Amino acid sequence: MNSDAMTIGDEVRAWLADHWDAESRRAKAGGSLAQWMDRVVEAGWAVPSWPTQWWGRGLDKKSVSTIVNEFRKVGAPGAGQDRTNITANSVMQFGSDTLKRKIIPEFLTGRAHQCLLYSEPGAGSDLAAVRTRADLQGDHYVVTGQKVWTSGAQNADYGLLIARTDWDVPKHEGLSFFIIEMRQPGIEIRPINQITGDSHFNEVFLDGATVPAENRVGDEGQGWKVMQTALAVERLVMGDGAGERRQGSSKNNVVSLIDIAREAGKIDDPVARQDIAQAMAYRQLNALNMLRAKQDMAQGTASPIMSLGKLAMSRILHEDARVMTKLLGAASMLDGAEHERAADINYRTANAYMTSIGGGTDQIQRNIIGERVLGLPRETEADRNLPFRESRAVTG
Amino acid sequence: MTMISPEERAAMREGFGRLLAEKCAEADIRRVMATQSGNDPALWTAMADMGITALMVSDDHGGIGAGMVEIEEIMEEAGAALLAGPLLSSAFVAASLIGLSHDADAKARLLPAIASGEKIATVAFTGDSGSWDVAGVTATAQPQDNQWILNGAASFVLSANLANVLLVFAQTPGGLGCFEVDSAHVQIEPLQSWDPSLRLSKIMFDQTQAVHIAGVDHATFEQTLDVARVALAGEQAGACRRIFDITVDYLKTRVQFGRPIGGFQAIKHIAADLLIEVESATSAARAAARALDTDAPDKDVLINLAAFACADAFSQVAATAIQMHGGIAFTWEHPAHLYLRRARADAQLFGQSDTYRERFVAAMEKAA
Ligand SMILES: Cc1cc2nc3c(=O)[nH]c(=O)nc-3n(C[C@H](O)[C@H](O)[C@H](O)COP(=O)(O)OP(=O)(O)OC[C@H]3O[C@@H](n4cnc5c(N)ncnc54)[C@H](O)[C@@H]3O)c2cc1C
Repeated sequence: MNSDAMTIGDEVRAWLADHWDAESRRAKAGGSLAQWMDRVVEAGWAVPSWPTQWWGRGLDKKSVSTIVNEFRKVGAPGAGQDRTNITANSVMQFGSDTLKRKIIPEFLTGRAHQCLLYSEPGAGSDLAAVRTRADLQGDHYVVTGQKVWTSGAQNADYGLLIARTDWDVPKHEGLSFFIIEMRQPGIEIRPINQITGDSHFNEVFLDGATVPAENRVGDEGQGWKVMQTALAVERLVMGDGAGERRQGSSKNNVVSLIDIAREAGKIDDPVARQDIAQAMAYRQLNALNMLRAKQDMAQGTASPIMSLGKLAMSRILHEDARVMTKLLGAASMLDGAEHERAADINYRTANAYMTSIGGGTDQIQRNIIGERVLGLPRETEADRNLPFRESRAVTG
Repeated sequence: MTMISPEERAAMREGFGRLLAEKCAEADIRRVMATQSGNDPALWTAMADMGITALMVSDDHGGIGAGMVEIEEIMEEAGAALLAGPLLSSAFVAASLIGLSHDADAKARLLPAIASGEKIATVAFTGDSGSWDVAGVTATAQPQDNQWILNGAASFVLSANLANVLLVFAQTPGGLGCFEVDSAHVQIEPLQSWDPSLRLSKIMFDQTQAVHIAGVDHATFEQTLDVARVALAGEQAGACRRIFDITVDYLKTRVQFGRPIGGFQAIKHIAADLLIEVESATSAARAAARALDTDAPDKDVLINLAAFACADAFSQVAATAIQMHGGIAFTWEHPAHLYLRRARADAQLFGQSDTYRERFVAAMEKAA
């Protein structure tokens, strides 16, 4: 460990000792979560690698890891969002200074919530095929179209929107990226019932909704590039969950395969034990991979391993659910109050698809790993160079 | 625990990698495989000169006193090149066993010569069952007039054909013990192995005189095997990465239906999945090495995890590499089958995946 990292470690430890009560997991001075987050942002812990004039401390990645670890140790939220905050990172990288000042603090402090307005009925894996249009009229754009599978749209203050601003260029070139206010007359949100019985995601209908031109992130026509950055942050977050307890979801990780095997009286069954071992191994291996990736990155070496996390996570979640179902046996036919354990496992079985479909399917992840990490030839796309107006997404 | 800095470790690894690139290319492996000894004496000397054979031995016995972290990385390089010969059996496994003993005489007598590469040693763990546990030890030792007499046999002994010194686990009236046997005094039967780069032998003892190594018990047996397993995990991780790289290169150059085959999803997706196996094997082997060095509380979890994850990854990657190459890989001339052979042998050496999975769960249960 170098002396810089030591110093920053000492500093963050001291700061946390002054401001955070590790026992009760609350801010010492009391106050709301938002007020705590204000303090974290002010102190520069929220995005330590960013420049000092933009809420950061200009620190290297290794120091960021140190800070995040110290926060994690005492259970304090808010640090290290320069890796995880989708909106803040996209705006920081591509937004105008005005937009940065307006949007970023709201997101770093957790006051504002976002949703991702990417997918459409005709554009899922092929996100460059979106047909929602944004037309510039004076100092604002008018947006019309339909989005789907939008997680959290009900509670969102802003949507990260990808929309088409030019129909006469190839599909990747005519897109722009916006931050649109969700609570306005031109936006209608309809919840969709999910496979799990929840309804976290929605259809979003945009009909003459408006977004100020200054809320465009990046230049007109540069939307694809901006979205790639946002997607990369999202995938990183989705792949990094293994090994650590997820916060906020009682249905994740609370009970282990070993507990379930004990309950089911199968803890001594050698076949079951082999299955349990393999499922637990997937989880541990991903955690070890992520640890290694972070160490590489802290040393300034780019880490291709990081891009494997999301695909590995799908395997973990599906395998956990499969093995749990086997352990439970006939009881897994039951549900609800009839059998709470079964209900939990059935939920996991269905919910595992959230990771293997949401944020890009496993198949698309494999394409990305094959092409970007291993350097294999790209998928051929029939409409890659056609003006979008002439592509099958439009002509059918 | 090692005193070697990360910079020194990286330099050592790079130097070793360069030596192997020069002296242990595919053609060399094939040449050595075809010899009777299965070893390249010139390469052995070069490795000794570089200090590779001295890594496991403490500095007060003429060694370098490296930790498992260094040994694991060296084994990654050795595995990538499919190095043949007694590096693992002598310099790492036998040296670690003697180092773990409480036998000052044996240490003074054997370690400097093992470190310098002058003497080659190997450890006989198991009998015909190949179960790599104490129950599998079938050789017996009886005290007789101030010395020990061995009977029975040990099998699957690595590089015994090259060894001057045999370290033999045997059942004694007072429990498990370890004995030093001069290889000139026993019958060593070479076993024909499917991986010709791996030399295995069966050793027969018939009223054989042996020297007792003090302070080696059941626990030492397991500790030595832990070292062996982690070193082997490194070999598997390195080998698995190399055959994967060879395969990915081929996917970029082999053209069918007018495009490189790596452009086909059926192939690309397999490659992406295999990359997870390769990276996981590396992470697991390194984590196990670190845990062993620091005697971490989750040592047993990590060693057993590495043992099956690396064996399975190497087996899967090597086998799939052949499929992805098509017909060319079915030829003797193509290197893919050399990796498959090593993968299948390594998957049995020192124990099996199913056993490790069982132990991994048991260790997790304890922790839970
Ligand atoms: C729980 C959940 C939450 C979500 N939240 C959001 C959200 O907040 N915002 C948002 O914008 N979207 C969200 N999505 C949408 C998600 O990103 C898409 O569902 C996903 O990208 C797949 O698109 P699709 O559903 O149209 O499937 P399709 O693209 O139609 O895919 C169907 C099948 O074809 C395969 N396929 C398609 N193209 C290829 C190819 N080139 N190579 C190989 N196979 C291919 C796919 O892998 C899949 O198996 C969410 C989805 C889920 C499940």
